[in-house]
Amino acid sequence: MNALTQLDMNAENANHVSLSYWQLVRRRFMANRYGMAGLIGCLIVLSCTIFGGFFAPYGAQTKDRNAIYSPPQLISIISPDGELTRPYVRGFEEKMDPVTFEFTFEPSDNKIVPLGLFVKGEPYEILGLTFETHLFGSLNGVPVHLLGTDGLGRDVFSRMMYGTRITILMAVMVMAAACVIGTMIGVSSGYFGGTYDLVVQRGVEFVKSFPDLPLYLALVAILPRRADAMAVFVMFAGILVLLRWADLARELRGKVVAIKSVEFVRAAVAVGASDGRIIRRHIIPNMSSHILVWATYTLPEIILLESFLSFLGVGVQLPMVSWGSMLNQARDIQALTAAPWLLAPVGMIVISVLAFNALGDGLRDAMDPYSND
Amino acid sequence: MTDKLLSIRNVNVSFKTATGLRHAVHDVSFDVGNGETLAVVGESGSGKSVTARVIMGMLAPNARVGEGTQVIFDGEDIATFSEPQLQDIRGRRISMIFQEPLTSLNPIYRVGDQVAEIIKVHRKLGKDELKSEVIRLLKEVQLPDPEARYLQYPHELSGGQRQRVMIAMALANNPELLIADEPTTALDVTVQAEILSLLRQLQKAHNMAVILITHDLSVVRAVSDHVVVMRRGEVVETGETQEVFHHPQHPYTKHLIASEPKGEPKPIQKDAPPVLTAENTRVAFKLKTGGFFSRKSVDLVAVNDVSATIRRGETLGVVGESGSGKTTFGMSIIGLGQKQNGPVTFQGDRIERLSRKELQPYRTRIQVVFQDPFSSLNPRMIIRQILEEGLIVNGIGASSRERLDLIKQALDDVQMPHDALDRFPHEFSGGQRQRLAIARAIVLKPEFILLDEPTSALDLSIQAQIIELLRELRDKHDLSYMFISHDLKVVRALCHRVIVMKSGSVVEEGNTAEVLEKPKTDYTRRLVRAAFDVVA
Repeated sequence: MNALTQLDMNAENANHVSLSYWQLVRRRFMANRYGMAGLIGCLIVLSCTIFGGFFAPYGAQTKDRNAIYSPPQLISIISPDGELTRPYVRGFEEKMDPVTFEFTFEPSDNKIVPLGLFVKGEPYEILGLTFETHLFGSLNGVPVHLLGTDGLGRDVFSRMMYGTRITILMAVMVMAAACVIGTMIGVSSGYFGGTYDLVVQRGVEFVKSFPDLPLYLALVAILPRRADAMAVFVMFAGILVLLRWADLARELRGKVVAIKSVEFVRAAVAVGASDGRIIRRHIIPNMSSHILVWATYTLPEIILLESFLSFLGVGVQLPMVSWGSMLNQARDIQALTAAPWLLAPVGMIVISVLAFNALGDGLRDAMDPYSND
Repeated sequence: MTDKLLSIRNVNVSFKTATGLRHAVHDVSFDVGNGETLAVVGESGSGKSVTARVIMGMLAPNARVGEGTQVIFDGEDIATFSEPQLQDIRGRRISMIFQEPLTSLNPIYRVGDQVAEIIKVHRKLGKDELKSEVIRLLKEVQLPDPEARYLQYPHELSGGQRQRVMIAMALANNPELLIADEPTTALDVTVQAEILSLLRQLQKAHNMAVILITHDLSVVRAVSDHVVVMRRGEVVETGETQEVFHHPQHPYTKHLIASEPKGEPKPIQKDAPPVLTAENTRVAFKLKTGGFFSRKSVDLVAVNDVSATIRRGETLGVVGESGSGKTTFGMSIIGLGQKQNGPVTFQGDRIERLSRKELQPYRTRIQVVFQDPFSSLNPRMIIRQILEEGLIVNGIGASSRERLDLIKQALDDVQMPHDALDRFPHEFSGGQRQRLAIARAIVLKPEFILLDEPTSALDLSIQAQIIELLRELRDKHDLSYMFISHDLKVVRALCHRVIVMKSGSVVEEGNTAEVLEKPKTDYTRRLVRAAFDVVA
């Protein structure tokens, strides 16, 4: 190499920060506001799954017999006298309409419930440890129901927090299992090709041609009536996995077929690397961005599917709480008109689906090697 | 004739990227006179294409044009023009030819319709007039049988023919200025010469000004009146072509001019033993034809009865146009391509029938360097991992420290700094990447390396450095090469013997000097002419 190019290389390499692909992706992602908002939303939803018991003032099954179908309460910081006080909510005066026999709830200035942060309450568990401190709670022992209660007097907000756990757990479990199966089958089928590929791809087509809704309904039909809720949950997740891996397997197969003829893979063959090593070190790392984006798009799909099926009553079974099974309580018109706040989980579903989709969009843009802005 | 058709002044362009603002073009100014050819030369990344796009007003969305940038075309500053005003100029008064003729044409429209489209945008012509105008243009760019071409689709034409169609589209409205952005780089050598001489003729006939963007100095010397040498977004030298070539001022220009591959290989020892021998290699691909019920399989013979012997320290050149089967031949005999049955002897062992597992012991001794350094390094691995892989899978080096020493030796051999180890491939230029790809091969201490067009994806000035490096390594480690190439200039500098392939068969073989000086067949003569005297 002559002096001139040597000089150039030195100039280029001095004070030069080496950025890996993932560091570049992170930078590009951080510059994307919509994606960042999605990420924050996802983190909030995910934190609810772990710290749900802390955020929720009551347990998921705790019943308040004095508050059946109690409406949501508004937090206020201006006292009835017009002064600034600590946050409080107003309790309800229950009245019965003498003509329609309908119960109405009137907020009453006489029943003030002061709120505080980090209040001791019902014990709950996080990762096997028992705690008693909740994020907020009433200070005078009178129950507070921010999003109202259902027909059994259970706090909707608390149940929604606990429901996050089951819903997200289901989505993550299904996504992770489908991801592993899809990656294994897709990559091997694309890499080895031949008859194996042919058979696997026909299998993928068979799975994809399945009508999924009847399958879910059939599941309920074959399960024993008194089956354990956990068993139903696992079966339900299993069926979702069974129908989800095929998409990923097909997408990855196409990508692997393209990448296995790229020269760096052939160079690895030329130095004598085994198939296993080529798949682990060369193919899968180059698929990882695709898999990650697929995962972020699949999570919201499963959240929606879970809530839809649980709403129909074929998904998560009592006494498990999920967003979908909470909506199940609001399925008849009477309950809905009497207590529209039972639809609160819809808000959580919308927020989490939007957040995961925004995250997926942001990731996809950040990972596109050709976009440079 | 002397008044300036186009003057660009203080052109500044920067790109907004994830890692911050990157300056691509810095204070570039030059002039183009009526009917003149200006060549803009520089390595890839020197900002020459970006400058051309500024003139056309066709920059990428993340580009920012700096303050004070002026593009004065025929007395008007078109840098300040609105998009509709620019559209009126583009294709009518200034047109452009791109590098990739394979992707510049829309595959779903007929060739004739695509040419007609350009005319319709700027001129009102009747249907018959339009058709005869298109056919006249296709005739002018010397496409054989223009009436038939009019109805064909792009995939029915060869690369050179497609580039001719692109030129016809560029000429459609008699532009005053034609910008040709590396118009021949993607084409076969023999076709390059034809396209350049066509451009030259058309320029004379139409009295157009031409801005020719290229990295090929022999092209510059042959066709241009003035030359602008660019480097890292700046103009380092401008002047009349002859003047610049005879008295280059800037060290970079001197370096460019000196960088044509020169010299001849050192003769090898008379009694050098053969390292690799391939006899009667025949590679055929099975093609399925016919309908579902009349399925037939036809053999497409890619390599037909080719034999070669490479002795210790020797380099055998395999040359031919693309599609002549030279890469297929090379890859097959070292067990990386289609299986074939002709005997292949490596250091006394027959290897042609070995399975992938049985070939394992030979992998370190037979290595390969691929054509494209941009796809031959895994983008997700750092250089250390890339170089270490061969050592790990072959169990060379007991500890990672020992392996690191071997890797450092290999980096020294290819003259790369040791701090490259922790970097990713995308941080290196094409030439540096090719050095790293060579390091990956020689770290295994091979006896034979297959070089599959290792220089054809690189700029000319870098090609020479890689050739020099390959020569040094050959002498230092007593290596034997098989060098696959279409560029006879490079072959002359590196190879002792050469075989010329055409459609899968050998048409000529012998010592390099003999074959190049006294080619026996027309085909070889055409290759030689394309490499050594560019323009008729």
